[in-house]
Amino acid sequence: MIEVEHLSKTYGTTAAIEDVTFTVAPGEILGFLGPNGAGKTTTMRILAGYLPASAGTAKVAGYEVHEQSMAVRQRIGYLPETPPLYTDMTIEGYLHFVARIKGVTAGDRRRNVDLALEKTNLRDRRTTLIRKLSKGYRQRVGIAQAIVHDPPVIILDEPTVGLDPRQIIEVRHLIKNLAGNHTVILSTHILPEVSMTCSRVAIINKGRIVATNTPEGLLAQLNSGTGYELEIEGDIHSVQPQLAAIAGVKTVEILPAELPAGRSRVKILAQPDIQLPGREIARAIVAADLGLLEMRRIQASLEDVFLQLTTEEAPLDSAIAETEETEEAA
Amino acid sequence: MQIILANIVAIYRRELQSYFRSPLAYVIAGIFWFLSGLFFVFILNVTIQRIALADQSGFQGAIDAPYQFYQAFLGVLSSIAMFILPILSMSLYAEERKRGTLELLATSPVTNWAVAIGKLLAVVTFFITLLLPMLVYQFIVLTASSPPMSIPLILLGQLGLILLAAAVMSLGMFISSLTDSTILAAIFTFALVLLLWIIDAIGQQLGGAIGAVFAHLSLLKHYNNLAQGIIDTSSLVLFASYIFLGIFLTAQSVNLFRFQRS
Repeated sequence: MIEVEHLSKTYGTTAAIEDVTFTVAPGEILGFLGPNGAGKTTTMRILAGYLPASAGTAKVAGYEVHEQSMAVRQRIGYLPETPPLYTDMTIEGYLHFVARIKGVTAGDRRRNVDLALEKTNLRDRRTTLIRKLSKGYRQRVGIAQAIVHDPPVIILDEPTVGLDPRQIIEVRHLIKNLAGNHTVILSTHILPEVSMTCSRVAIINKGRIVATNTPEGLLAQLNSGTGYELEIEGDIHSVQPQLAAIAGVKTVEILPAELPAGRSRVKILAQPDIQLPGREIARAIVAADLGLLEMRRIQASLEDVFLQLTTEEAPLDSAIAETEETEEAA
Repeated sequence: MQIILANIVAIYRRELQSYFRSPLAYVIAGIFWFLSGLFFVFILNVTIQRIALADQSGFQGAIDAPYQFYQAFLGVLSSIAMFILPILSMSLYAEERKRGTLELLATSPVTNWAVAIGKLLAVVTFFITLLLPMLVYQFIVLTASSPPMSIPLILLGQLGLILLAAAVMSLGMFISSLTDSTILAAIFTFALVLLLWIIDAIGQQLGGAIGAVFAHLSLLKHYNNLAQGIIDTSSLVLFASYIFLGIFLTAQSVNLFRFQRS
């Protein structure tokens, strides 16, 4: 449904994205995960036809986003980084306007607007002026505007930003329900969000795609990379079998290194989803009467991307309890 | 074609709605009606006094009082409009840029042309609304006068005013599409209007072929043609050209500037 090949975008001399390639199958939800400034918004804007790419091609539903712009525009719903709202209109009036310019026929318009209001839980606010809405409500109107014409492809740039925890859950639920009938691509910098909503994840960092996988596969890929690197004094081969026998160890590898005679460098990698018992490794070496000069945790290459991501969220349950309390108080 | 028309109507309706909901529009309308009403009475008094004076001094020739009055009043209306038009057109695109709604329009199946035409039609409609009460005054006075003024002549003057406004606001719309500051858009539009207003005088100073070209570009000169009841095709063509130029440049700049900004 979405095919992106070798896409690049440069502003002057700085590259916003470089050689980005990925595909999204029909009915799939792809999460576009990356730290701030990684090029998520640029990619989204190119896909929506708002920006032209410097190089490469992007196709949505078989149409090239820049050359066949009008055909693409008819088939996408797009929520930009800041929701594009006319603050002097009511929610309902605004959605009617969007439905009209998106080419929804007069007969279907009322039904489409009602459905979008229903899905985003805005029914009881339909006649409120957008100017008077809080940020969370505005974000929801932004999502409603992206789905009001029932497009086959939906592009959401940070859809849960500015929402309170309860609304975040609602929006994630909504996005999940869009899958199947719609192809969705959403960007986020929150790690748990993709594992909750997306069927596939593309990780982007500094304008490049670092990895594409299912959320589970990605976690496995990430964990398989963890382990220890050691510097040992003495005959390493005598202790190698004992190290390999420790529960959870996948490989024990002697690294080529320029060290004084009698010393060697060893890399121990863990099996997926297992925290290596560092204590036992150290004990095995000491028991073999070898010198342990250095012991250091090593991380997979993906890890430095993840470190920049929000890997944790505020506990949702307590936050919901809080909002309920304040609502009752109000 | 039908879709494009439907899009123009959609943009037009939204834009017009926002005018009638904006406090600024009401303030402008209030000021416009107050000033033009004031001048209406003032010019009417002056005209009547002048005729009375001529009668007293025993002047026998015919004075076309309604015509003189109408000329003077149209001149004042256009001068007031010059100050108001840049304010009406300043937010057409600047506001869309600031709010980020340009991103919505640019990713919807609507052409830039349809957006620009819809917006211009809306702001011209709003300007016509401003003229309507004045038109009622003028009809009452000019048809009751002796000799009464012909209705086509009155309407021609109004058409001139509307064309002038459309030309100015079309260029104003283009300027508005260049910036996301409404104040800047208003100031630059006003400067441009002033230039086109006095370009006639500059042309006369220069003389020669270039001077003639400058003189021809003058909005004031062509507006005066229509206000005097002269239907000059070249005047109509000039106004139409200004309007088209504004729409064309707007459609282009929306594309271009979208591509350059991050």
